[in-house]
Amino acid sequence: MYGAPPPKQLAALGLLVLAGFVLPHALPDYFLYIGNLLMMYAVLALGLDILLGWTGQFAFAHIAFYGFGIYATALLNMRLGIPFVLGMPIAAAVAALIGLLIALPATRLRTVYLALATYAFAECAQWVFRTWDSVTRGPDGLRMSAPQIFGYMVGNDRDAMPVIAIILAVMLGATLYLVRSRLGRAFCAVRDSEHVAAASGIDVKRTKVLAFTISAFYAGVAGGVYTLFQSFVHPDGLGVWTLVLVLTMIVVGGSGTIGGVLLGVLLLGVLPEALRAAPRGLLVWQEFAYGLILILAIMFMPRGLWGLVIYRLRRKARRGPPPQAVPVPALEREP
Amino acid sequence: MSLVLQGVASGVVTGCVYALVALSLVIVYKATDVVNFAGGELVMIGAYLGLLLLLWFQLPYIAMFALVPVAVFAVGALFDRITLRKVGGRALAKHVDLVSFVVATIGLSYLLKGAVRVVPFTEEVRRLPPLFSGPPVFIGDVVLQRQDLAIIAVTTMIMLALWLFFERTLLGKALRATSQNARAAALVGVPVSAMRMAVWGLASAIAGIAGVLLAPKLLMTPDMGAVVMLAFAAAIIGGFSSLPGCVVGGIALGVIQNLVGIFISPQAIAVTPFFVIMLVLLFRPEGLFGESLALKKV
Amino acid sequence: MSALFELRDVTMRFGGLTALNRFSMQVEAGSIHALIGPNGAGKSTVFNCVSRFCMPQRGEIFFDSRPLLAEPAHRIVQLGIARTFQNIEQLHRMTVLETVLVGLTSRTPRYFSFAPGATRARAERRAVEEAEEILSQTALIGFRDTLAGELDFGRQKLLDLARALASRPRLLLLDEPAAGLRNREISFVDSILVNLARERGITIVLVEHVMQLVMSVADRVTVLSFGEKLAEGAPSAIRADSKVVEAYLGSEAAHA
Repeated sequence: MYGAPPPKQLAALGLLVLAGFVLPHALPDYFLYIGNLLMMYAVLALGLDILLGWTGQFAFAHIAFYGFGIYATALLNMRLGIPFVLGMPIAAAVAALIGLLIALPATRLRTVYLALATYAFAECAQWVFRTWDSVTRGPDGLRMSAPQIFGYMVGNDRDAMPVIAIILAVMLGATLYLVRSRLGRAFCAVRDSEHVAAASGIDVKRTKVLAFTISAFYAGVAGGVYTLFQSFVHPDGLGVWTLVLVLTMIVVGGSGTIGGVLLGVLLLGVLPEALRAAPRGLLVWQEFAYGLILILAIMFMPRGLWGLVIYRLRRKARRGPPPQAVPVPALEREP
Repeated sequence: MSLVLQGVASGVVTGCVYALVALSLVIVYKATDVVNFAGGELVMIGAYLGLLLLLWFQLPYIAMFALVPVAVFAVGALFDRITLRKVGGRALAKHVDLVSFVVATIGLSYLLKGAVRVVPFTEEVRRLPPLFSGPPVFIGDVVLQRQDLAIIAVTTMIMLALWLFFERTLLGKALRATSQNARAAALVGVPVSAMRMAVWGLASAIAGIAGVLLAPKLLMTPDMGAVVMLAFAAAIIGGFSSLPGCVVGGIALGVIQNLVGIFISPQAIAVTPFFVIMLVLLFRPEGLFGESLALKKV
Repeated sequence: MSALFELRDVTMRFGGLTALNRFSMQVEAGSIHALIGPNGAGKSTVFNCVSRFCMPQRGEIFFDSRPLLAEPAHRIVQLGIARTFQNIEQLHRMTVLETVLVGLTSRTPRYFSFAPGATRARAERRAVEEAEEILSQTALIGFRDTLAGELDFGRQKLLDLARALASRPRLLLLDEPAAGLRNREISFVDSILVNLARERGITIVLVEHVMQLVMSVADRVTVLSFGEKLAEGAPSAIRADSKVVEAYLGSEAAHA
């Protein structure tokens, strides 16, 4: 990716903000809640994809940063009276800082080791949320008071939607610029080959640390968004299950593509709500359904739904047969 | 003092089960480069199959012990044949994509967990009857259940059998060759993809046995696959590529967990494996027995 | 005699295996210097030490009389040394143009992170123009938006070269640029190398098994065997050297 984002995409951001202001007057509460939820997942998934899809680092700590974002924003508001407009950036910055501190040792690790170390970190964080009673109320969960934005009380989904739409638009815009920058290309280069990246003058370690930090910032922002339309947070929601949900969104939609991630969020974010609306008999199939979707997606759509869409479009544009993959001869390696 | 001794002894027992699951993970990782996040669910499936055979079909313990590994072997082998071969066949053409493999195993773990959860029989929390009941055995001040002794005995037998298998049999040697260098193994005529299937089956069968051994010691739920993190911690202590490392790592972890419970706080037992994983990876990423981690050669 | 690039007494061991044993070599500015030897002789290890992917146990490497071993991997290209890779090590999910833009990294300004603005727009525009120019020179411009991993084998090697050239190196390390190519492609590589050295004054170190290419372009040849220098001299002298013929060229010559 290079150059500036196409004007169409920037215009879409404007439309998103507009929708955020108009829809609350047009839709019933339940749909507004789903809309807010999807927008929050979008911020969370875009952040994870920077690490996973763009930089190729298989790290699981994302869910912990999301948790920090939620608790920090809520507690800054409740204990210190710091308003949301200040509290959320502080919380996100703290999440990013912790991300940086985690990244410094974690970037020495690769593959399994990185995955397990970051997973272990996420579990430890969840344990802290659960046991640090005096701050997080532990297993009872924390009831959050409604945040205020310039004296305007955000008490329900209707109030929250315009704010969340603006936040998502800003984060999406930043992502559009990021992936089309020198840094964005460095992320991809590190993902595809650390050797080629280093030989091209990219500081691999620094690039990974930046990816961790930026990704943690997104998670912190998503946590802040959570406090806008939810009134209760429980440590159980900050475990593997939520992480797998976001991971499924990315994989099914198409990792390493913004459109794919948004598509995945839309499809899989609605699914649990649809299942919840269904009779109890269907709800128990939830885990089974996610497992099946993940396996089928990875088997038949290696580039996700978005990859399929792009492939179809390209083929249509060419009006010819699809490009034949030329078999790559195996080269002899020196031992 | 006797409390500590007791803690160490029962830590060794649970450590044996961790070691078995860790072996299952490491065998798969060495041979196929896949980190199996569904390892815990294979344990869980083994336990529930055992329960089904004992309570529903009223089979004797011995028959159950023979059937469970076979069934779980089939689950693992089929997963490799159906899913991983498709994912990996594509990945090998360009590059081996760890993320795809891991996502596939996460998918399997939720699939299995979900499949067990929809069976109404599993809604009620149950316990697998132990292999041996009867009065506990006293060794000095230390009390061990008969089931515990059975766990140690079975684990030792499996370790010995695995060692003999890899060292003495032609199939075992072929598996080892495949895990060291798949391309070279293919050149000398080892059927690599059949080997991969066999490895997945074997590793799954070990996990299934671990499930049968573990189930009498705790309440069975579809979430009992969480034990996989303890196995990961054990494998990480051992270096993630060494089979003896798994055994030492498993037993060490079992003991550490119990000592943390005694000396620090029972609440902290839950995070012990995660702490261990982070500490080991922070200070000695290659574990006790592993090779150093390096980027593959250009 | 002006050595632009020098290895002095370099020893590199991997566990029990000695890949390079007190190996020294000097490369003159503006020359094409071939490094040949049987498989496993340690040729790629030389490159990997220069790229700082591995750290020799002893010895020193100088570029422009500057010690390289003190520099981190990503600084090497800024000093003016670019390299290609033996096995097609590609940015397979990036397009051809993006790959060359990655090659331009060391020369793209670090505009404030990634924020929109005039500096950013200018820098990006200039980088794209330059990348397209390099793609024209290497006959890849028609594949501008193809994924690198979807190119055919010969073009992947060419793209690797284009990426390396984008940094405007003074020294170019080429790891088997002709391996696996057809004759027509080899003569294309041949003409590119001669052009780079003679017209643009780029010093080239070439690791290669294809003797036809080595004998036609190299000014000087160093022969490595089991990590030690076996012979060094002009191509014609190397061809006549009985030690070399015995250790290496013997089998090759029989094929030719």
